[in-house]
Amino acid sequence: MKALWTVARKELIDLFRDRKTVVLGLLLGPLLMPGIILGIGALVENKVRTQLASTLLLPVAGIERAPNLVAFLQSRNIEVTRAPDDPVSAVREQTAPVILHIGDAYATRWRDSLPAPVELTYDSSLQDAQIPLQRVHRVLYEYSATVGSLRGLQRGQSPLAGQAVQVALRDVATPEARRGMLLTFLPYLLILFSFIGSAALVIDVTAGERERQSLEPLLATPVARSAIMSGKILAACLFGMLGLVLIVFAFKLSFQLAPGALAQVHVSLPVAAQLLLVLLPMVLIGTTLLTLLAAAARSVKEAQSYLSILMLLPIAPTIILMVNPVKNQLWQFTVPFLAQNQMILKLIRGEVISPLEWAVYMTCGFALGLLLWLIAARLYHRESLGVSG
Amino acid sequence: MIRIDSLHKTFRSRAATVQAVRGVSFCAQDGEILGLLGPNGAGKTTTLRMLYTLMAPQQGRVEVDGLDVQANPGEVRRRLGVLPDARGIYKRLTARENITYFGHLHDLDDATIDARIAALASTLGMEDFLDRRAEGFSQGQRTKTAIARALIHRPRNIVLDEPTNGLDVMTTRRLRGFLRGLRDEGHCIVFSSHIMQEVAALCDRIVVIARGEVQAIGSPDELRQQTGLADLEDVFVRLAALEENTA
Repeated sequence: MKALWTVARKELIDLFRDRKTVVLGLLLGPLLMPGIILGIGALVENKVRTQLASTLLLPVAGIERAPNLVAFLQSRNIEVTRAPDDPVSAVREQTAPVILHIGDAYATRWRDSLPAPVELTYDSSLQDAQIPLQRVHRVLYEYSATVGSLRGLQRGQSPLAGQAVQVALRDVATPEARRGMLLTFLPYLLILFSFIGSAALVIDVTAGERERQSLEPLLATPVARSAIMSGKILAACLFGMLGLVLIVFAFKLSFQLAPGALAQVHVSLPVAAQLLLVLLPMVLIGTTLLTLLAAAARSVKEAQSYLSILMLLPIAPTIILMVNPVKNQLWQFTVPFLAQNQMILKLIRGEVISPLEWAVYMTCGFALGLLLWLIAARLYHRESLGVSG
Repeated sequence: MIRIDSLHKTFRSRAATVQAVRGVSFCAQDGEILGLLGPNGAGKTTTLRMLYTLMAPQQGRVEVDGLDVQANPGEVRRRLGVLPDARGIYKRLTARENITYFGHLHDLDDATIDARIAALASTLGMEDFLDRRAEGFSQGQRTKTAIARALIHRPRNIVLDEPTNGLDVMTTRRLRGFLRGLRDEGHCIVFSSHIMQEVAALCDRIVVIARGEVQAIGSPDELRQQTGLADLEDVFVRLAALEENTA
């Protein structure tokens, strides 16, 4: 046990003397996180505000057929321009998000009090077109409803007669949950950082030491190989958790500084502590898995080439949940990555995690960590480990 | 005391199977310096690695102070001081920290470690670089640090793989004097080299190894008599049967 601490202490001293690696490892995450949150927040906020509030330029074909409608549009902050000859290619080339076409029959049908045809051309695959389309659509609907009511009144009918059903919408999402939707990328980032945040250190203390041939004298000491390995794992876990503490606090700070809706995400100290607790098994799993790979690999280069695959693992549950959303069930807390994803989302959405869920989550996380530790310890006992080349 | 009995070790790779060690046997007594002499690739390092439990022999047996190495690896490592072929000094630690780390791994307390480092540093002449980081150490400074690190727990048995590699004349002489001192204190010392003069200058007995087998064992004079040659280098070339290769 004492040897374990001795090894961990030495690895941390050795690491912290490598200033550049430490600065990159510890500060890159905390600087990146606010960058992403503030950046995305500002971008979305800005986009929505300008698209909602600015004057919308709407190319209209057949302006002369519906002067009243055009006047109505202009009164709703939509500036009407003459449409290009080929609206389809204009929309595809993104010269205009939406183009309104007033049909040939508009005037005659209007006079006969029949529905007058207008057509909106847009490209649903363009995110950018969503808000302009909604704005124009809503104004057209409003115009249609207003004129329809007036026609009814003229004929002595109540405007309400045209409204058979009154629909009311009740959104039960809590404010926290709605904000959580903005943050679907966050669990991925946090899981990724905890999973392979200290990869450089982990690979270096096993594969790197082996390559530098300093593992041979170390293994010639009376200390058991599993104790040496555990000391190295402990050092990497401590370093990983230190990095995560910085990231979680950067995360808390950046929400306070973020513009718009994100500013209301409040990461309280208990939530921050719970986030760290959730990430703890992930740090252990990542460190033991990397130790296992580093012990199995013939060189640092080989060990590092596993990283690109490992980086994809944490995103798997996010993608699966996106394609096939599943309800919150207990088994989810047993699946690595998915479990972390669910736990973090729950914390961000401000939901309560039941003691049973905590217990299942922690047990499975640490059990997997232990399993990987056992496999890594077996690999550490391989003869070829101490011998380089 | 170190006793090695008919060790065998084979390495298999995709390309070939190499019999690195084929039935090596010898015994090094306490108060004796035993030299393992052989050309490059003779199996010296592999034999020593089996001795300090880094590798397991496929056949044969190694005993340190009467303890079977396979059965008591931890206890055997406690009784051994090992200088491996690759020194493996940590570059970002000072010489003192490198040595202290191993002292702690041998479960020594700080006061003992400090006292022993002071003694080793003065014997080996390490005072001027003791508190410098090992980054940029000369080969001699690295070897001295590694030797001090191997001896911090005062092991009864000392195993040195090519200890004088890359050392200058004065450092080599100092090291020889140091090793003789340890022998006179009753330590059992096994060291390997590929230079006959090196071994002859220091060893009480020489084990000549070539192609994974022991070719001869004896004191330098005994080996001269055995071959009827006066020049030690000739003796080595004859015993290791290198002539057909060099001629």
